[in-house]
Order: sequence, then structure tokens, then C-alpha cells
Amino acid sequence: MLKKKAAVASVSALAMLGLVAGAQVASATAMRHGAAKKATVTIRFTWWGDPVRNKVYNGVIQAFEKKYPNIIVNAEPTSWSDYWTKLSVQMAGGNAPDVIGMHQFYVTDYAKRGQLLDLTPYVKDGTINLHDFPKAVQDSGKVNGKLVMIAQGVTMSGQVYNKTLFQQMGVPLPKLNWTWDDFIKEATALKQAFTAHGMGNDHWGADDESGAMQPVFNYFVRQRGKNLFTKDGKLGFTFSDLKAWFTMWDNLRKKGVIPDAATAAQNSTASREQSLFVQGKVGITAIPANQIYLYQTDMPNQTLGLVGEPMLGNKSGAFVEGAYLAVPKSSKHPKEAATFINFFINDPNAGKIFKIEQGMPGSVKIDKIVKPLLTPTQQQEVAFIDNRLKLAGVAPNPPKGYSEVATLFTQTAQAIAFGQKSIDQACNDFLKQAEQILGK
Amino acid sequence: MHTRPGAWKKHAIGYMFLAPWLLGLLGLTAVPMLSSLYLSFTDYEMFNRPQWVGWQNYTRMFSDPQFLDSVRVTVTYVTVSVPLQLLTALAVALLLNRGVRGLGVYRAVFYVPSLFGGSVAIGLLWQRLFGGDGVFNHILALFGIQGMNWVSSPQTALYTLVVLAAWQFGAPMVIFLAGLKQIPVELYEAATIDGAGVMARFFRITLPLLTPILFFNLVMQIIHAFQVFTPAYVVSNGTGGPLDATLFYSLYLYQAGFVNFRMGYASAMAWLLLAVVAVISGLLFATSRKWVYYNE
Repeated sequence: MLKKKAAVASVSALAMLGLVAGAQVASATAMRHGAAKKATVTIRFTWWGDPVRNKVYNGVIQAFEKKYPNIIVNAEPTSWSDYWTKLSVQMAGGNAPDVIGMHQFYVTDYAKRGQLLDLTPYVKDGTINLHDFPKAVQDSGKVNGKLVMIAQGVTMSGQVYNKTLFQQMGVPLPKLNWTWDDFIKEATALKQAFTAHGMGNDHWGADDESGAMQPVFNYFVRQRGKNLFTKDGKLGFTFSDLKAWFTMWDNLRKKGVIPDAATAAQNSTASREQSLFVQGKVGITAIPANQIYLYQTDMPNQTLGLVGEPMLGNKSGAFVEGAYLAVPKSSKHPKEAATFINFFINDPNAGKIFKIEQGMPGSVKIDKIVKPLLTPTQQQEVAFIDNRLKLAGVAPNPPKGYSEVATLFTQTAQAIAFGQKSIDQACNDFLKQAEQILGK
Repeated sequence: MHTRPGAWKKHAIGYMFLAPWLLGLLGLTAVPMLSSLYLSFTDYEMFNRPQWVGWQNYTRMFSDPQFLDSVRVTVTYVTVSVPLQLLTALAVALLLNRGVRGLGVYRAVFYVPSLFGGSVAIGLLWQRLFGGDGVFNHILALFGIQGMNWVSSPQTALYTLVVLAAWQFGAPMVIFLAGLKQIPVELYEAATIDGAGVMARFFRITLPLLTPILFFNLVMQIIHAFQVFTPAYVVSNGTGGPLDATLFYSLYLYQAGFVNFRMGYASAMAWLLLAVVAVISGLLFATSRKWVYYNE
């Protein structure tokens, strides 16, 4: 009997401990937000980012909580590489955060499966104000006519080059509007200069970008008058496009202008800080323009330059990219989530903190407020995006199964790089498998 | 206080104490397992209502090149890493069993890598050790050998993970050591008097008496090796690359379900794995009568 009593007592003691711990957490949360007497609502917010970027997002959240003391925002950032797998699980489990960072490449996976809230009612009732958004920017958040996401920033892809390295090696700098021939010439010249300086062993002219279906290969096919995907979700390019692409990169690889297969494979999974470009071992790599300041932060002793994606003759193939905010259908606080999104895109204070983290602000008004506050690197970014936007069109949203095809593309590039398959065979295999994926 | 102890009450308390485990078994094991069995016969993209498709997920596997890659990688891994790991474990156990001073310390030191198990930190460490710029290549360079990028070359990437598995020999080693301690010293003494050498003593006494332990370790490590996930996930950043060289079965299963939204297919893969592991364990048990010696 006594033993039993002791057991029961210890079990209930444990339960009590749990309660106490819970209460402590609750009171701590309350303390953090002052003695807010009004009923508070907590919303969760997730985005992709690294520590540098997370600081900026957290700043916006703090400004929001100050203005709306009755809404608490819990930050749940994840790195880009884990972001989409984590989100898909949360979405399937119905416990995704109330506000989620969204991206054009992935939006179809969720929107076509009916997982994102149509935000039109919140725009109509004024919770989200899009008066200062150009129509093209508004429309870029629509899938099947439904407004499922709102642009945080508009960006364009480009090639960043290490100006310091080019100058040290005495190679002329890449030009804003350059062609693939120029790209090959520049990268080759840089490699030859490295070799002449006795650094040819582990220095290369440019990164191996052959596995990047987005965005570089997309530019390439658009320059040839096509798209990655057709509007009805089939592959938009053919064998000859693929073969031209992989042959170009294979030639560069064979000449040692881009890294060997194993080095490139390691680089493709390395973090930005450990990438060949940041280490100063390659001169050119592809980035979205809004990331140039992240690279510049990692490379304080080098000057970076930004030029367009190489063109085919005078065809740029350029298309608008960007980062967006969306609300999952499962959200229990859609109104508060919409309020938060509105603050993020329209509030001058939010604009001053966020600046051009994800590219040029969607709102013209915020754009004017932000511009005078930018650092030289950021001004370079804005000038670049401004310039490129004039060339840009809109690429069709990718179909369901996009990420599987993108992985297949990277694998195809690797199979060629490692010499496991001939270019012809690799291209044929790719087309066959991609059709299988998209057909399902 | 002193009431008549009704039978129901006695049981109720028993069940109450059992409840946490029972709830766990039902909620975290039984129900998910049965649902995954159902899902394996459906087309389920995580957001839609599962659609019954019969055996389609199972037949699809055999025309899926990535699935076949993952089977090849996993079978290679199991057949190479398990014997290697057990041999290492047995060798170290034999060394430690010779009455070394400070045995406890050695045992702990050799066991530590096993504790790290499938941790992310070890995966990252491995990526650095065997990368192009890694420590391993620097050591090779001391001997004038030109290294290579071990983790990102398709021919070697898998074997860096085999080495990792062999390095984590602590758990079977501790079990071997316990087994060795059980063998009566008199047997060795008697054999020595009869003129048996070191080799004869090992093959005639140690090994036969150790077979139950060997059998146990073999079964456990094979099951374990079939399910390996974390090291490959970390070393290849979740891709199973380069060129599917580290695309373990469980890693592809994860990709199929959570990256490619084919949860029905992933469930089918999980059940196939269960069936294969069950068959292999069954075969091991069937052959065990031939070679495992129980001192009864």
C-alpha cells in the first residue's frame, strides 16, 4: 500500500512539475509583451534565411509587435535547403505557420493542391493594401486567377564577379550586357591568368552552372524562344536545347575553365560562406541580385561586380523573380496574418528595416523611402534590378513535380561531368524521365 | 484505506502504469504503421484524399532508376560495412580482453563513437575529413600521395560512409567483450596443456563459444545498416549524391515522401524494406541452427 501511495505521489508530482513549467512559460511570454490586458493572438511566421538575413526579419517583427501589441509573432526561420521539406510536412499535418515565405518555383506545388488561402477578400476589405503595387507585381502572386501570395521584393538573376580578382589577374571586367561568347572568353582568360600565376591548380574562371535548371538554363532556353515548361505543364524545351547547353559546359570543363566534377559536386552542396566563389577560387558565379550584399558581407576585402545573365546575341531571356508571403488555408488567424503581411509590405518603418532584402520593394511608395538609405552595394543591386526589369518578361509558373525535375536536371549535369554518360544519352534519359514525372 | 482488493482495481492500476507505453505503442507505432500499409496502395500526395491504385506503387519501383540505385547502394553498404564493423569490433574486444590495465577507460573510449551514432555533427565532421581540402588528404600528402575529393566522387563517396560505420564499432565491441568474459578460463588452460596454440585456441574455443554473441550482433547490425539515413543525408546535403552514390534506401524513401510528395510510393517502399529485412532475419535464424553453438 505504502509503495503504491509513493508511486502515485511521485507521478502526480511529475504532473505538477509539468504544469508549473507550462505556467512559467506562459507568464514569461506575457511578461515579454508587457502587461497586455487585451486578448492577444499569436501567429507564427516562417521564412528561409541565414543569421544575417534573420536579423533583418526579426527587426521587422519587433516593429510590428510594437505597433500591434495584441498580436505576437513567433519567428520560425529555416535555411533554404531544409525550408521546403519542412514546410511540406507542416502543410500536410495542417500545422504550418500562419504566414509563410513563398517562392515562384514552389508556389504551384501548394496552390494547385489548394493549400493556400485566396487573399482577395483581405485586399477588398482593406486589410491588405495594394494601391502602391504595380499591376504586374500584383499579378505575379496569382495562380489560376487566385491571389495566393504577395510580393516582398522583386529581383533579377545575374552573374556576380570578383572584381578584385579580375584586376589582380589583369583580365578585363565583364560587361553588363554580355553574351555567352563573352562569358566563355572572360572565364577562359581568367583561368589562363591563374595558370600563368601558378594558381591554376585550384582556381577556375567560373563556377560550373550546368546543373542549374533555374535560373540560368531557363534564361538559356528563353533566349531560344522557349520556356522550361509550357502553360499546360509539359517540358517546353527539346533535345537540341539540352545538348547545346551541356556541350557548352562540357567544353569549359575539359579546358579546366570551370571546376572538375568532384570539386563542383562538393561546391554545389556547400554553404555560401564555404563556396568556391567566397573563397576567391572562382571568378564568376550566378546569384539573384538581392543576394549580392550577403556575398559582399562574406567577402569584406574584395570588391564585387554584378552583370546580367549572358545573352544570345541581343536576346536576354530575362524574367522577373521574387520572394512572396502567403497564408496557408489551415491558418486559424488569417485576419491577423493578413494584417502582418500588410505591415510588412506597406509600413514605412518595416520598409526602412527590410529595405531590399528580397529585392526591390513591391510598393512604389516604400521604394522611394528606402532608396536614400542604401549602402553602395545595395545601390548597385537596385541599379541592376532597375536596369534588368526593362528587359524582363514573366515566366510561366512551373507545374507540379517541378522540384523533382530540377533534381533530375542536376543529376543529368553530374552524370555528364563525371563522364558516366555521354551527352546524347544523358539528354535522352532526362527527357524520358522528366516526361514520366510530369505525366504522373 | 484497507478496502477489499477488487480484481479490477488491481488490473486498473497495472494498466495505469502501462498506459504511457501502451498509448505510445498504439498512437506512435501501430496506427501509423497500419495507415502506411493502407497508403502504400494509394496515390497520396499528402494534401489530397488518398486514391486507391492497387499494386501500382509496388510495380512502379522496378522501372524507377533512382529506386534501383538506392537498392544497389544499400545492399553494397550492408554487405561491406557489417562484416567490416563486426571484424573490427571482435579484434578490439580480443585485444581488450587480454587483461589490459585501465580496461574501463579503453572500453569507454572505444565506445564513444557509437554514442554519437547517427548524429549530424559526425556527418559534418566526415564531410570535412574526406573533402577535397580535408584532413585525410593532408595526411596522405605527408606520404607524398595525391589525394582526391572522397565525399564528392561517385566511386568513393559510399566507402567514406562504410568507414564511418566501421569506426562506430563500440556497441558490438562491448557485447563481444561481455561474451569473451563468459568463456571459462579452464577451457583455455586445458587446451594449452594439450598443446593448442593461439590460433587453435581461438578457432576451437573462443569463436565457437562466441557464436551466440556473433549471431546477435550480426542480426542487429544488419537491421541497423538497412535503415541508415543520417550520415548520407548530412554528407550529401539530403541529395544522396553525387550521382546517387549515397542514395540509401531510407534516404530515397524520405525524398519520395517529403520532397516529391509521393507518400503512397514512399509507404510502399517502407513496407518492401520491412519485408526484405524480415526475410533476411528469417534466413539468418534458419541457418543459425547450423553454426550457432549454445552451451546448454
